[in-house]
Amino acid sequence: MNDELVWVTQAQQGSDEAFTKLVEEHQTHVYNLCYRMLGEPESAEDAAQETFLRAYQNLHRYDQSRSFATWLLSIAAHYCIDRLRRKKLSVFSMDEEREDGTVFEIADPASPDPEAESTRREARDRLHLLLQNLDQTDRAAVIMRYWHDYSDVEIAESLQLTVSAVKSRLHRSRRALAGMWQEEAAPRARTERRQHESPAF
Amino acid sequence: MNHQPFESWLLNEAALNAQQQRELDSHLRSCAYCAALTKTEKVLRGMKMALPAPGFASRFQTRLMVEKAADRQRKFLGSIFFTISGLALMLWLASPYLAVFFASPASWIAALVEVGVFLVTTLQASVEAGAVIFDVMGRFMPPFAWMVLVSSIAGVSLLWSVSIWRFVRVPQGV
Repeated sequence: MNDELVWVTQAQQGSDEAFTKLVEEHQTHVYNLCYRMLGEPESAEDAAQETFLRAYQNLHRYDQSRSFATWLLSIAAHYCIDRLRRKKLSVFSMDEEREDGTVFEIADPASPDPEAESTRREARDRLHLLLQNLDQTDRAAVIMRYWHDYSDVEIAESLQLTVSAVKSRLHRSRRALAGMWQEEAAPRARTERRQHESPAF
Repeated sequence: MNHQPFESWLLNEAALNAQQQRELDSHLRSCAYCAALTKTEKVLRGMKMALPAPGFASRFQTRLMVEKAADRQRKFLGSIFFTISGLALMLWLASPYLAVFFASPASWIAALVEVGVFLVTTLQASVEAGAVIFDVMGRFMPPFAWMVLVSSIAGVSLLWSVSIWRFVRVPQGV
C-alpha cells in the first residue's frame, strides 16, 4: 500500500493530520487547475480551498480503486465550472474583475537566456489570457491534458464526458486558441512593422 | 496538398515520416493558421504549474476548523429547534387528553374506548371515501393521468426521504 492510500484510509477514519498530508501533496495540482480555470490568484486560492473542503466532507464517497488525484481534480473542475457559470449569470463583467491584476509566472533567474525566457513567458501569459475565452468545460479539458498530462479516458472520467466528446472538445479548443492567437498576432505584427517604418509612410 | 490534412496531422499529433514532415514544414511557412496551431501547441506544452502562496495547507486547516465550528453550531441549533418543535407539537396534540389523564379510572376507560371507536370509524370512513373517489375518478381520469399522479406522489416521497437523510447524516471525517 503506498503512502497516499494510507493517508486516504486514515483520513477516512477521521485523521485530520493524514488529510493535511494529502492537501500538501496535491495543493499544486488543484491550485493550478483552479488558477488556469478562473484566471486570478485570489479566486484560485478560494476555489482550491473549497475543493479540499468538499473532498474532506465527501471522503466517505471516495472509491479507492480510482486515482485520488483524478477524484480531486474532478471536484475542482466541477466547482470551477459552476463558479464560472454563476459568474456569467451575475451582473458583474469579467473585465472589471480582471483589472485587479492577473499574476503570472515569475521569470526563472537561472535561465541561460533571459531574453528568450522573457519571450516565452510573454507567450505563456498570452495563452493564459486566451484560455479564459474558451468554454468552461473545454478549458478544463485543455488544462487536464496540457498541465496534468491526463489521457482522454482520464479527462472523460473527471468531467463525466465520453472519450469522443473529450477528443472533439480538445480539437475545438485548439482550433479556437490558434484562431485567437492568429487574430491577436496580426495587429501586433502590424504595430511592430510600423515602428520601423519611415514617418513618410 | 490542401490545408485539411495538415490540420488533422497537427490536431491528432500524428507520427510523420520524413517526407510528410518536410511537406508540413513547407505548409507551415505559408499557412498562418497552422503556424498558430503549432505555436499554441508548443506554448501549451511549455506552460508551467502555478503555485499557491506559501502556507496553503495551514490556511486550509484554519478554514476547516471554522467550517467545523459552524457545522457544529448549525447542528446544535437544528437539534434545539427540532426538540422544541417536537415537544410543542406533542403538547398541542396531547392537550385534550391531559384533563382525562388526571380523571378517575372509569373516565380513562371511557376515553380509551372513545378514542378506539373514533380511530376505527375514521379508518372505515377513509376507506369508503377512498373507494368512492377512486370509483368516480376512475371514470374520468385516463390511465396515464393515474401514472402521473402515482409517480408524482412517489417522487415527492423520495424527495422527502432524501431531504431527511441528508439532514441527519453525519459525513465521515467531520
